[in-house]
Amino acid sequence: MSVLADPTCVDDADVRADRRRRLFAAMDDAGLDALVLGRPAEVAFATGARQLWTAGSRPFGPACVAVRATGRTHLLSTWDAEVPPEVGHDDLYGLTWNPALLAASLAAIPGLADAARVGTTSSSPGFPRLLASAAPRAEVVDGGPALWAARGPKSGAEVERIVAACRLAAAGRDAMVAALRPGASERDLVAAHLAAIAERGAPAPPTEAVASASPAGPRRRPSAEPIAAGRLVALDPGAFFRGYEGGFGRTVVAGGGPVAGADAAVGAVVAACRAGATGADLLAAWAASGEPPPAGPLATGVGLGLEPPVIGAGVGAATVLAPRTVLAVSGWVGGALRRDLVLVTAGEPRVLTEDL
Amino acid sequence: MRAERSARLQDQLAAQGLDGLVLLGTSAVAYATGADAPGCDSGRAALLRPVAVVVAGDPSPHLFTPYPEGAPPELPGDHLHPAAVVDDDDGAAALASALAGLVLPGARLGCDEVPHPLDRALAGYRLVPASGVTGAAKLAKTVDELACIRAAQALNEAAMVDVRPRLRPGVTQTDLSAVFLRRVVELGADFNGIDPIWQPMPARLADGPWTVHGGVAFPLPSAPRPLDDGDVIWVDTGVHVGGYASDFGRTWIVGDDPRPTARQRDQFARWWAVMEAVLAVIKPGATALDLAQAARAAEGGATPWIEHFYLAHGVGTDSAEMPLVGTDLGEEFDAGLVLAPGMVLVLEPVIWDDGAAGYRSEDIVAVTDDGWVALSDHPYDPFGPP
Repeated sequence: MSVLADPTCVDDADVRADRRRRLFAAMDDAGLDALVLGRPAEVAFATGARQLWTAGSRPFGPACVAVRATGRTHLLSTWDAEVPPEVGHDDLYGLTWNPALLAASLAAIPGLADAARVGTTSSSPGFPRLLASAAPRAEVVDGGPALWAARGPKSGAEVERIVAACRLAAAGRDAMVAALRPGASERDLVAAHLAAIAERGAPAPPTEAVASASPAGPRRRPSAEPIAAGRLVALDPGAFFRGYEGGFGRTVVAGGGPVAGADAAVGAVVAACRAGATGADLLAAWAASGEPPPAGPLATGVGLGLEPPVIGAGVGAATVLAPRTVLAVSGWVGGALRRDLVLVTAGEPRVLTEDL
Repeated sequence: MRAERSARLQDQLAAQGLDGLVLLGTSAVAYATGADAPGCDSGRAALLRPVAVVVAGDPSPHLFTPYPEGAPPELPGDHLHPAAVVDDDDGAAALASALAGLVLPGARLGCDEVPHPLDRALAGYRLVPASGVTGAAKLAKTVDELACIRAAQALNEAAMVDVRPRLRPGVTQTDLSAVFLRRVVELGADFNGIDPIWQPMPARLADGPWTVHGGVAFPLPSAPRPLDDGDVIWVDTGVHVGGYASDFGRTWIVGDDPRPTARQRDQFARWWAVMEAVLAVIKPGATALDLAQAARAAEGGATPWIEHFYLAHGVGTDSAEMPLVGTDLGEEFDAGLVLAPGMVLVLEPVIWDDGAAGYRSEDIVAVTDDGWVALSDHPYDPFGPP
């Protein structure tokens, strides 16, 4: 088993090399001379660097620049700690508050000034002007499709890491079940989950919304009220292993055992997760169960955190499922939650969370 | 408080001639709407995010959210909308369609982030940076905002009372995170804002990571790494309470009964002297440059803060926001930044003696009508009292 104990260390060289190869191949296919990445998971994919985790989304900025002509990835980092050796000191540019200094850092990236087509994964009203100062001849295009062509399909090693993250999440689930004593609140369960995965070395969960005992449906902010005996308690643990997300949703009765209320409907959607199927097929599989349309996403991609596609009411119907992508399928039925991770293949889907 | 914030945004929209705002960033949406959403990692927070639309002349913001139960109670029903997945063409088109009923195409909209699908969907609008509006609105806090920051900081400080006794030889960084994260949830935090930092500092820079500027590498992420007796630990954490961030910074020493050396006590005394010098000049009308110069004068002309950061930063719905003091924006910028009542400063001077590590702590003050008031209140053990 190549997957080791430490969920936080910089990942293995072969995993990094494979991701880098996929990234530059996708840039080749899309005719991108450079790709400017902003979000932490994108940076992790391209460079393998482990950076400080912060909650929430921040406005787009050039956190990493991949240049096709040189095959190098340039990283916004003031230090080389947790930066893999293939990203050299010359490839680092430091944190700055000053747009002029940032522009100078970008202008110093070899090959960027000559780029004719530059993809960015997002943008902001001020960003094109900043980029134009570093790549004056470039046409700036949507780099999202190229990034997702590289990131979407998962290697075997990536799936291993998702499974390892699911095991960490299971420890979080076990801690929540143990904490679900008479008088315990949702807040006690969340506290138990956070502590359990941090004790295993993985402190930042994908979301803190991991326990809900609200009869009105999912509640994302935990209550401090004691959970009444007999109440359905949805447990939705999650964790990261070397950047990869794992997790699953199950429901128990306070003072009792597991509840299978959503299992059949979610199972039907999972069974429809085959390469070539569309988002509409998944929505139809859910509708065939006779349950009302899901309030939240029925399925999302999972990898280095949550990923496209998002499939749900009004979104993602035209999505075509690609082989080797991993989807989280979730549904609520009568106050019960079930969420499973499934690996899409040309044949039978492989459920990664079946035995949890 | 939410009504006062909305009024400030409206004032800035009018002053800057914008017709509205479309905000995507987590902290910007929290500021504009007061909407509650769970703590999420950045990928999830971007894909399944609340979106705020502020229309000039309408005192109520519009909220597009996957977490409708987090909408503030006073939000009119017709201002609460289904989630808009703006990283997806379908979702971006749905937002644009709703927007067309609020603001006519051709209008000038302030935006913080514009994913490509949203850019395509909003092709009929003139998009400009939102930061002129949001930055100006957020710069000085209302009395209620100051109370929220103080409450967030108090909760963070209370959690540390349970963490510090665990700082014994052999404990790992993530063991400390486990105690901290459990405690902040028990105490009622909205969510954790940053991977808690418990960084052992090398005695010499040469023994630490390489940096682009040759200075201190901080903050580095935590790991299941055991800490050793006598390690100097720089602590930095932040949680959100009532929508506002805390920022806790202290220097600790690993040990069963840690006693700072004479050199370490001297570092703390110098840190304290820098703090006293800076606090002495904080009042309305003082500039950021005045603060920076006072700090340098107290350290004999040396710059007592981390080169890639600042002497001080603001805090609010963001863990670090304007006013920034002593950044690489330069002295001209600092000279133009004039303190006013309601501004918040997280002061974080650093004393570094290469060969003997250093001392770093953070304290928070708010500028008052004639000086400042503390928003943080935590001992400096094992160094203090000064």
